[in-house]
Amino acid sequence: MTSITGHPAGGEGIGYSFSQPTAAPVKQHGFYPYTDNGGSTLGITGSDFAILAGDTRSTSGYNINSRMVPKVFKIGGDDETGEGAQIVLSVVGFAADGNALKERLDAVVKMYKYQHGKPMSVSACAQRLSTILYGKRFFPYYVHAILAGLDEEGKGALYSYDPVGSYEREQCRAAGAAASLIMPFLDNQVNFKNQYIPGSGEGHALEAKKAEPLPQTHVEQLVRDAFTSAVERHIEVGDNLQMMIITREGIKEVFHPLKKD
Amino acid sequence: MDKLVAQYSRPQHQNESYSEQEQQDLTESLPPLSLKFSLPPVDNRASFLRAMTDDHSNPSCPIKLAHGTTTLAFRFQGGIIVCTDSRATAGNWIASQTVKKVIPVSRLSRGEDKPSNDPTPGLLGTMAGGAADCQYWLRYLSQQCTLHEIRHKRRITVAAASKILANLTYAYKGYGLSMGTMLCGVTPQEGPALYYIDSDGTRLPGNLFCVGSGQTFAYGVLDSNYRYDLSVEEALALGRRAILAAMHRDAYSGGFINLYHVKEEGWVHHGFDDMNPIFWKTKLEQGEFSNVTSEL
Amino acid sequence: MGSPFDINGGACVAMVGKDCVAIACDLRLGMQALTISNNFPKIFNYAPSTYLGLTGLATDVNTVSDLFRYKVNMYRLREERHIAPQTLANLVSSSLYEKRFGPFFVSPVIAGINQTTGKPFICGFDSIGCIDFAKDFIVSGTASEQLFGTCEGLWEPDLSPEDLFETISQALLAAVDRDALSGWGAHVYIIEKDKVTQRLLKGRED
Repeated sequence: MTSITGHPAGGEGIGYSFSQPTAAPVKQHGFYPYTDNGGSTLGITGSDFAILAGDTRSTSGYNINSRMVPKVFKIGGDDETGEGAQIVLSVVGFAADGNALKERLDAVVKMYKYQHGKPMSVSACAQRLSTILYGKRFFPYYVHAILAGLDEEGKGALYSYDPVGSYEREQCRAAGAAASLIMPFLDNQVNFKNQYIPGSGEGHALEAKKAEPLPQTHVEQLVRDAFTSAVERHIEVGDNLQMMIITREGIKEVFHPLKKD
Repeated sequence: MDKLVAQYSRPQHQNESYSEQEQQDLTESLPPLSLKFSLPPVDNRASFLRAMTDDHSNPSCPIKLAHGTTTLAFRFQGGIIVCTDSRATAGNWIASQTVKKVIPVSRLSRGEDKPSNDPTPGLLGTMAGGAADCQYWLRYLSQQCTLHEIRHKRRITVAAASKILANLTYAYKGYGLSMGTMLCGVTPQEGPALYYIDSDGTRLPGNLFCVGSGQTFAYGVLDSNYRYDLSVEEALALGRRAILAAMHRDAYSGGFINLYHVKEEGWVHHGFDDMNPIFWKTKLEQGEFSNVTSEL
Repeated sequence: MGSPFDINGGACVAMVGKDCVAIACDLRLGMQALTISNNFPKIFNYAPSTYLGLTGLATDVNTVSDLFRYKVNMYRLREERHIAPQTLANLVSSSLYEKRFGPFFVSPVIAGINQTTGKPFICGFDSIGCIDFAKDFIVSGTASEQLFGTCEGLWEPDLSPEDLFETISQALLAAVDRDALSGWGAHVYIIEKDKVTQRLLKGRED
């Protein structure tokens, strides 16, 4: 079609001197497969036990999805109740990824038991979890995992992970939304960081207080204190405290109420 | 009849040697690189991964990986000194102060520290950049080194081991791996050997390397006091002092000083010590670090 | 470049005790990862028992502290008396709001004892002057999340001056040891009705 007005012929007839948008710009939809479901977890070990705890609130943004979504799971139990398990996993971050990870590790630990006729050791399970996480290095599980159990000597064992599987055995570790609130408190109260023995010297000669394994009742109290503190100052933490206490006798699961506001 | 028998019977010793394919499988030190990793369903994987995990280009990324480090290694007449800090940071948050950034390579079962002071055979790798990348691939390297030892009945050279790792990082170039590692070992063929390998695919032999966010501070101390004919005691002290300087000035380095000495017979661990008492001892007894106030 | 609040680093905390208050800060001044100085106190004195802590962008810490020294001096000359912490709080609030659309990048904290009532007083602000009155503690700086955790865990009501010193020191040191951008020593002030004790804390040097 040729133009008789001298203006370039547009689709609608009127020729504008400036270019008209021909169509809506090509929309690039972002691929965002993750949601942060909030919450916090915490693990502390002692000489013959390990405690892994987490709150039970599930959030997305400022909304509360549920007040009862446990984050701590028994791994490799004989049935769906987790009876007979000796390893506990906590996952915090994106709950769907966490659940998928838990299911996968649970299957691995069960298969190990059926194939080898003995339960998987915590150290072996810890290494396996690391490889599972790294298998998704280029499309990570959005989770901070903590694994707890008793080692070959019967001592409490705790392994903490980053989302792509770097791991380390530690005495205590907090993960999730309120990790930055809980962890410095634990440094001070579990590892006695910045504490000195009174009267051991003057000024620079003061002797630092050494960390030693704490008794179980004391650790349970610290876990409860840490969470009641975190609930006060973090909106994504609250509702209930779930605690798994791993001893030679087995795993004891207890719930305590936390503030629900 | 003979013809028929010959057709259906095989020479007696035919199966005793390996086929060409089997021979190749046996001598090949590396399995073919298979992409067993699950990948996101997007066109540009690198930019997806950067958006999700790179806190430098995107401070509000959801998945914060552990970063930040000072590691150093140098060759001298008595072998190689390897020294690192122990801090892991995610943004400004100190995720851990107790990371073991020196990873024993080769002989998986001997990776654990023993209480005795006997040297442990094998190489040492250091960890800078993504903690998981270093841990995973150095473990993979251990596996390859152990297989090499079994196949060839002798220890792998540092040159060969570093090449395995460099080929690996080069194959994954552009996928977003992040690692800067130094491989150290003393072998009869090479003597003390030190290689730097990073996630770009770089592989450099050298006398002295510092890697990580605090590398410049460590180089400052190391370059001014380094000589090849350092005694073992002097070399250990220099490694410790260089890391101490980096921990002090670099916000993303700190925690414990992890010190190793690599010798012909293997490596010896010289402690995982809190930097703070060492810092104050250095300051108060040697009069160094006069910038720090100790009185009001 | 990150937020102006996170360039130089630093942390400050104030706490209430029984007839006393405490305020403490770290000593670091950095440029991102590089530590420039280990002796950069962030607490400033404006009257015998009135203290102001400033964290955030170091240039604004200097500017704002000098601005208030000028304003408080003018107040003292005009009124012929020392400024009360409550008065300083309102002065800080209105002065910061004057810069509503081009704020100073600071998070101030006030701690003091009102000499007429004898009551302890603490409060904190955002960068444009909204006052946060608190009965327990106020935190600010790059380690504020960590400080919330340690203070919430360690603080209790009606602490004596000695116990308050121990509490605020442990809370601050534990918090800055988990923050890459603050630490390198600390200053603590324990303010009683007619006595102020200043102490230097030896912290981790990494």
